[in-house]
Amino acid sequence: MRITRWLRGLAPVAGVLLIASCGLQSGGSVPLPVGPGSIVAVPALDGVAVTVGSKDFTEANILGYLIEFALTAAGANVRDLTNIQGSNSLRDAQLHGQVDIAYDYTGTGWINYLGNETPEPDEVRQFELVRDADRAEHDMVWAAMAPMNNTYALVASRRTAEETGVRTLSDYAALIAKDPAAAATCVGTEFNVRQDGYPGMARKYGIDVGAVQKQIVQDALVYQATADAEQCRFGSVAATDGRIPALDLVLLDDDRGFFPKYNAALVMHGPFADAHPEVAALMAPISARLTNAVITELNRQVDIGGREPADVARDWMVAEGLVTVG
Amino acid sequence: MTNPVPAPPRSMTDGPAAVAVPGAQRRAEFLRLLVQPVIVLILTVGVLVWAFRRDLTLTQQASISVGNIAEVTWQHILITAAVVIIVVAVAVPLGTLLTRPGFRGLAPIFVGIANIGASAPAIGLIVLCYLVTRTTGFWVGVAPIAFCSLLPVLRNTILGYQEVDPTLVDAGRGQGMSSVQVLRRIEFPLAVPYILAGLRTSLVLAVGTATLSFLVSAGGLGILIDTGYKLRDTVTLTVGAVLAVALALLVDWLGALAEQFLGPRGLR
Repeated sequence: MRITRWLRGLAPVAGVLLIASCGLQSGGSVPLPVGPGSIVAVPALDGVAVTVGSKDFTEANILGYLIEFALTAAGANVRDLTNIQGSNSLRDAQLHGQVDIAYDYTGTGWINYLGNETPEPDEVRQFELVRDADRAEHDMVWAAMAPMNNTYALVASRRTAEETGVRTLSDYAALIAKDPAAAATCVGTEFNVRQDGYPGMARKYGIDVGAVQKQIVQDALVYQATADAEQCRFGSVAATDGRIPALDLVLLDDDRGFFPKYNAALVMHGPFADAHPEVAALMAPISARLTNAVITELNRQVDIGGREPADVARDWMVAEGLVTVG
Repeated sequence: MTNPVPAPPRSMTDGPAAVAVPGAQRRAEFLRLLVQPVIVLILTVGVLVWAFRRDLTLTQQASISVGNIAEVTWQHILITAAVVIIVVAVAVPLGTLLTRPGFRGLAPIFVGIANIGASAPAIGLIVLCYLVTRTTGFWVGVAPIAFCSLLPVLRNTILGYQEVDPTLVDAGRGQGMSSVQVLRRIEFPLAVPYILAGLRTSLVLAVGTATLSFLVSAGGLGILIDTGYKLRDTVTLTVGAVLAVALALLVDWLGALAEQFLGPRGLR
């Protein structure tokens, strides 16, 4: 009698737990419907469960949605795990097979994941090095490298660039040698110490670090402060950030090819890639279209235009004829 | 002194340690004054030896060098000192004014404003301060932190004056002192222990929040913490964090010393 009452009391609790356990499963469904375009249904992928991941910044989210819409159009059953907090968390999730596929950057793979300090200057060669080493060491598969290269870069406001005539990093080095006060530079904390950041760049271009009027600020403030050109005449940025065109900043040319290549490429968990070789082939035409100009514009639509990354990603794919609005 | 000042609650408005303490508590306080600098020394030397004896990568060496650590620590001390000067210069006169007849009604307004500073997230205030002034640098990092640290001193200054026994004020007036003389020779000295207790809280708060002032190029130990966090470099992160803790303890110790030696002699 007592036990039945106890059980009866428990039943709603169990029911709530059951419902909650469904709702609390990590990851969601693909946010927008898509239909086949130039990407058509692939029989081998029909109904295959695929978990797509991404890191937690605008560009990463857009790239993640590109994968999701492509795979959905091809007939796969996609689970959305985009916007994973912190770059290293995505890597861990991929290593453990919790995320099957995501876009990542060759430079990040080479330096952060594989622990190298000196990058390879040639984009394709850098990709090949990462691909081979990561397959051998961690059974991770890199494929379909995109032309877009989200590397570090120095920028100046349009006015500063015109006043000083600085267009390349060599010009920048010469300006520091001539008039350090005219070349006050704002950098983020990470770029300030990384060997593929300021210290290495200074060595490569013969910049006297002691002479530089360098200020360390939060990464997000660098863009606005450089655009204002009051205290920061030059600033360190990510090369495909949407704020560069929005604030009319001028990218300085890395004329001696110092900065590592951060080309976007697909990274897949080994067993998944081996079981579904169609995925890399499916994504190749998308990667091929992702130039710096394209991704910077997509980033701009999100960061400046205030649109959702998923909307921006799907609209671009529809405009390119890759998929249709489903 | 026949009327001992009642011990105020131990909270943000922490009462002065010197007021009516029993012998055991006094001895404990004395022991703490001896032990705390030793802990500071152990923490500082310990973390530096630990860091410098490791095989540091080139990237870590850029952060963990004698020159760089000395520079960011010095910046941190300067920020803290500037915050304290601003807080004392604003909160003590303001607190004095707000306890004068005719101005008491304004006290809730200013305490309310200081409350906003104390409860608003420091990181938000710093970035807002940048967005409004569109400048970076030392003062843009210092001003918001000073605003954040204002409350304990302001609140304790007001409390300190309120705790002064009215009969003492009457006695002073009876001896023919002007109200300025009463303030200078009776009220203020009796309020000093409270003000110092508030200042100690403010100081520790300021050392902690000064780790955020690097955001606007004011420097400080926050540089090491942020660099370590972004690069997943625990060594740099730990050095920055432990040094900030040691500095907070050191500053707290200086505050305790000040309480011991700057309070009115009769209450010590």
